[in-house]
Amino acid sequence: MQDQSFVRNFSIIAHIDHGKTTLSDRLLETTGTITSRERREQLLDAMDLEREKGITIKAKAVRMHYTSADGQDYILNLIDCPGHVDFTYEVSRALAACEGALLVVDAAQGIEAQTLANVYLALENDLTIIPVINKIDLPGANPEQVAQEVEDVLGLDKNDVILASAKEGIGIDAILQAIVERVPAPTGTLNVEARALIFDAHYDSYKGVIAYVRVVDGFFRTNDRVQFIGTTAYADILELGVFRPGMTALRELAAGEVGYIATGLKSVDECQVGDTITLAANPSFAPLPGYRPAKPMVFAGLFPIDSNAYGDLREALEKLKMNDAALSFVPESSSALGFGFRCGFLGLLHMEIVRERLEREYKLDLLITAPSVEYQVLKTNGDLIEVDNPSEMPDVGIIAAIEEPIVQINIIAPKRYIGPIMELVTSKRGSFEHMEYLDTQRVLLKYRMPLAEMVIDFYDQLKSRTQGYASLDYALAGYQESDLVKLDILVNGQAVDALSAIVHRDMAYGQGRELVDRLRKLIPRQMFEVPIQAAVGSRIIARETIRAMRKDVLAKCYGGDVSRKRKLLEKQKEGKKRMKMVGSVEIPQEAFTAILTLGEGKQEVRKA
Amino acid sequence: MQHLYLHIPFCHRRCSYCDFNTYANLEDRIEAYVAALCAELALLPVPPAPPAERAADGVLTSATLRPTIFFGGGTPSMLTLPQLERILQAADRLVPVQQAEVSLEANPGTLLGADTPALDYLRGLLSLGIRRLSLGVQTLHDPLLRVLGRTHTAAEAKQTYLLARQAGFENISLDFMFGLPGQTFADWQAVVDALIAWQPDHLSAYSLILEERTPLFAQVTSGRISVPDDDLAGAMYEHAIEQLALAGYQHYEISNWAQASTQPKLAPRVPAYACQHNLAYWLNSDYLAAGAGAHGHIYPYRYYDILNVDAYIHAVQQGQRPIAETIDLSHADLCAETMFMGLRLHAGVSRTHFAQRCGVELDATYGDTLAQLAAQGLLAHDAHAVYLTARGRNLGNRVFEHFV
Repeated sequence: MQDQSFVRNFSIIAHIDHGKTTLSDRLLETTGTITSRERREQLLDAMDLEREKGITIKAKAVRMHYTSADGQDYILNLIDCPGHVDFTYEVSRALAACEGALLVVDAAQGIEAQTLANVYLALENDLTIIPVINKIDLPGANPEQVAQEVEDVLGLDKNDVILASAKEGIGIDAILQAIVERVPAPTGTLNVEARALIFDAHYDSYKGVIAYVRVVDGFFRTNDRVQFIGTTAYADILELGVFRPGMTALRELAAGEVGYIATGLKSVDECQVGDTITLAANPSFAPLPGYRPAKPMVFAGLFPIDSNAYGDLREALEKLKMNDAALSFVPESSSALGFGFRCGFLGLLHMEIVRERLEREYKLDLLITAPSVEYQVLKTNGDLIEVDNPSEMPDVGIIAAIEEPIVQINIIAPKRYIGPIMELVTSKRGSFEHMEYLDTQRVLLKYRMPLAEMVIDFYDQLKSRTQGYASLDYALAGYQESDLVKLDILVNGQAVDALSAIVHRDMAYGQGRELVDRLRKLIPRQMFEVPIQAAVGSRIIARETIRAMRKDVLAKCYGGDVSRKRKLLEKQKEGKKRMKMVGSVEIPQEAFTAILTLGEGKQEVRKA
Repeated sequence: MQHLYLHIPFCHRRCSYCDFNTYANLEDRIEAYVAALCAELALLPVPPAPPAERAADGVLTSATLRPTIFFGGGTPSMLTLPQLERILQAADRLVPVQQAEVSLEANPGTLLGADTPALDYLRGLLSLGIRRLSLGVQTLHDPLLRVLGRTHTAAEAKQTYLLARQAGFENISLDFMFGLPGQTFADWQAVVDALIAWQPDHLSAYSLILEERTPLFAQVTSGRISVPDDDLAGAMYEHAIEQLALAGYQHYEISNWAQASTQPKLAPRVPAYACQHNLAYWLNSDYLAAGAGAHGHIYPYRYYDILNVDAYIHAVQQGQRPIAETIDLSHADLCAETMFMGLRLHAGVSRTHFAQRCGVELDATYGDTLAQLAAQGLLAHDAHAVYLTARGRNLGNRVFEHFV
């Protein structure tokens, strides 16, 4: 059995692009866990999507062996955690599995909103933080100033800062030594009821759900029957072990250790992040703190372009769900789009990841409606209902009040952008709460704003108005009553339910006008004239007309090259498959998310 | 079917919109190319003789057509008379030159500047049996001709046309384009008025298509110049249709008109001066092709020759057919192509022709599709054929895509 005093469990906190992946790889190489030859590009980010988006979605845990300066052997468990606001809960559970964290800050960029949020999470979990200033080799690096910022903003001693360049291999030994010296050893109790924290899980078609665990007390052995305290599921341990970095089976995992437990379960629903595993034969009745069932915040309709693919879509969602407890879906029927699913996501990024995986891995052509949030609607008869789909909003006559989710947002940006940020947040119904200078150049701004405004391209606009300098973090901060109305869109005189949106009454007119203008540009000309109207209740507030198509013919001979002509026709036909017939009008996918890109002014819209 | 396309891939200068297989500054290869072309012709299989009987109902079918030879380019008028003569001698084995409609694409700029005086050259063409001339006039506005990269002026185009008449050409076609960069509706009106005054026997008017990888495409996408939108181009097209009809031209294909002369029509809605070689394309007939990048069609396959001039010459010198790629066609492809090519003609696709070409009945194959398109007002029927309505012609692609 491993002596806990020679185990160190730690995580790495970093903003996107501050070098977490490179540093992880370097630690694995230096400890001989992988050789450079074996090292795949960005080993810890296995999924293509993660690599493309430059972020880590699924946490992983790797065991390293390290011999410290005094000749003592240690086991270092690196628990990787996601780096995006949508996954804050997952981050908090990964951090809860550790005693320490490396805080990686870019030597040129300094602290970002995401870093700040994750440092607070780490401090809440009583983690020892080792500040690392990375990329000191780059021109523009200013380690002294960043170290000062670390001290001023985070309250960490600047003398504790380690200067590093993961890319150049500078500071790696100092980091490993600091992990051993500064991160406390685990202090679990061996001879009590066993408890392990699940900080991630994935579905494996051979071994069922693999739980990534930190054993807190006692120990687990192969073939033990275990219970999940939160979900009340039971399972038998088919296998357990550690990642080195591949799965390596062991006989047991004891208090203080980090590894995996293969459960044979069919869905991660039964094995949720944050839940506690205990032994069925000798259970603990004290769940580890912090568990909450995955709760989606953002909702959107997913519809197959080809209505025959409904069954395929359901199957694909079921498969994804086995690996993603935060994804929810229920069948939805739209008069415009036919049968599909109302899906719940943690946030916009999560939504985008799910959509891309469905399209890429399951080869589905999908149409996704504009994201919505969950409203609490008090009806005049006293019933309180939850509405996450604008088309299901009750008739205005029977609504007593609508409450919408509110988020608290933190933005860090250079001070010269305070004006544009204020303007943007105000236009999104945000209210200012607090401003604080981080140093002479950068400020931290705190606001409250409706989540519904946040999910509509707020982040993109923030980035564009601050030339990419602002960083953003948000957290749910309750519900608030608002004067909201349902904005309906009529295409060719027919209300298209999937284009409806819930908007603030004061903004309905402007948004309606802008939306019909946007749709006029997005919907290609049809063989007849198509009116586009926006309405609140029975009142039409905006109208545009798409003129009938006048000419669409290949007026060129191509010198007998009929194959080419044929290819052009096939391409044209293919393009139409990406559109949805609503009544007799072909509407391209982009139209259903047009509301996301309102307020971008006169930017050119590409026609399908 | 005795139809032969001959590709001459040389140009003095490439036009800014051109994405055909053409090359400037390769004049020194012409002689070797002509030799290779003749050698390729010797390797081609002799096509079957045309069917003896015309269709009983008189509608347009493959049997309506004479044998044809078409010199396309590039700039075929860059070849000398002896070079053309050698090619025709080699082609005669495949298509009887004396009975054939022999067309040649000519560039007004090339003819006037050449060593042989233009009139002599034009008379020489006639004596070789080349009796149909297709002049690439394109437009009559000099600044626009320069934007297009053409080497001639409007005055030179007219001079060439008059010389061809003087030489004795009785079948002259003029190629025009509309929807050109910066072209206004009034510009196009002036072009149409002028070309009607010239009284050509045949006219083609093509809407400019911006092809990727052309200099013009780059200029338009970068915003340096702009082209008329679809509405304006549509208005130009409709103007041409109206004015040419008034001037006695019969519109017989989406982009083609011919004098409604006193000579008997080839078939209902097909004027006497219709281009028989192009009719072979629209009837989805078989045709041979020779020359770098030339496309041939012998059902059940299409083929095209090696694009690169030197590689083409080299392959022929090795005694091989210089085929770059062969594309197999299914029966469904045959039916689809017969429809989307044939519907370009005002005569449409006749049931007789479809049955002859495809071996199945039109209504049994496409009955539902045809009914659906007719219900949308895009297609009409008569006793013999299905054809596009005026609206269907404007929205041809919307119709054609139903068949692919």
